[in-house]
Amino acid sequence: MSYGSVAADQITSSVQGYSLGAGNSSLKKNLLINGDMRIDQRNAGASVTPSTGTYTLDRWNAYSSAASKFTVQQNAGSVTPPVGFTNYLGCTSSSAYSVGTSDLFVIYQRIEGFNIADLGWGTANAKTVTLSFQVYSSLTGTFGGSLQNGNGNRSYPFTYSIPVANTWTVINLTIAGDTTGTWFTNNSSGLQVTLSIGAGSTYQGTAGAWAANATYSVSGATSVVGTNGATFYITGVQLEVGSSATGFEYRQYQQELALCQRYYEYGTASFPSRSGDNLYYGSMSYKVTKRATPTFAGVSQTVNSNTVDSFACYQAGSASSNSLFTWTSSAEL
Amino acid sequence: MMYKLFNSLSGQEFVIRLSDNAFIPFDSANTDYQEYLKWVEAGNTPEAVS
Repeated sequence: MSYGSVAADQITSSVQGYSLGAGNSSLKKNLLINGDMRIDQRNAGASVTPSTGTYTLDRWNAYSSAASKFTVQQNAGSVTPPVGFTNYLGCTSSSAYSVGTSDLFVIYQRIEGFNIADLGWGTANAKTVTLSFQVYSSLTGTFGGSLQNGNGNRSYPFTYSIPVANTWTVINLTIAGDTTGTWFTNNSSGLQVTLSIGAGSTYQGTAGAWAANATYSVSGATSVVGTNGATFYITGVQLEVGSSATGFEYRQYQQELALCQRYYEYGTASFPSRSGDNLYYGSMSYKVTKRATPTFAGVSQTVNSNTVDSFACYQAGSASSNSLFTWTSSAEL
Repeated sequence: MMYKLFNSLSGQEFVIRLSDNAFIPFDSANTDYQEYLKWVEAGNTPEAVS
């Protein structure tokens, strides 16, 4: 008996303008993690002033080549998120800074190589991807960003337009995969998605073309850090296989948190005093196996061992009570 | 940024980032360790094991 077949790579949903299942799968559709900006383990909604590589909301890194030019905060400014979302990543300019030749102010996420292996980038079979997101800014004009490989020697600058200030705007960008270059498919950085809020000419490229360099924006793009108090908010960021944007892939909270915890996790521990040597000593398993052996920090703690799965540490003491402390473990890209 | 070498009781080697007392493992895939190596390549020297 034959039940026939359906040949389709995209199914129109009952929601106007949205479709399902582009590419070869509907699971792991969004290559990005925390694209809806729900998870903020490090800061719990507090504002961060980035330096040269500061993690803000989970998985989202910020780079500021000059000190104190912008802040990043979950739901900064408390505007109403777009329909379907409760959170956004908000950048706020702290001054009217004139961007220099070698300045760079960006928000970016590095995707682990294991999770982009199916793209086939660096081969003749490189798949086309579509980047989509919603953006809200006090400024209008042309804005820039890029895709880049882990080595930083292949990049694709792109532009998009924000025509109306202080309004959520849907952005869809389709990008043909890179057929050359080296794209890591292991636990190192495979692909970096960057949105620029200010880039000097050193970091500007030609929009819409792959090039053998590291660029993050284009000439003439709007500089958010150039206007004191200017805002730039994003959410619903999705990178998927295919030539059209489909609806944002909503994951359950615990799924998204676990995805984030491969790269960063924190917790509290209570270790007892060990008889004989007066050390508070204990070990603990991580909730999620880390991408690499993580960097561990625990208040007053000395590490004894640390692996991708667990840690053991100790603290000098003689009291009979337990030692209660907080710890963080980072294996970010 | 300043660092200090550290050997744990278990024998695992770390470098301590003194600004936040973070224990960085000798794992080439760890980006903090990669930063430390760049710092050393730039001509800096970590504090010795105490």
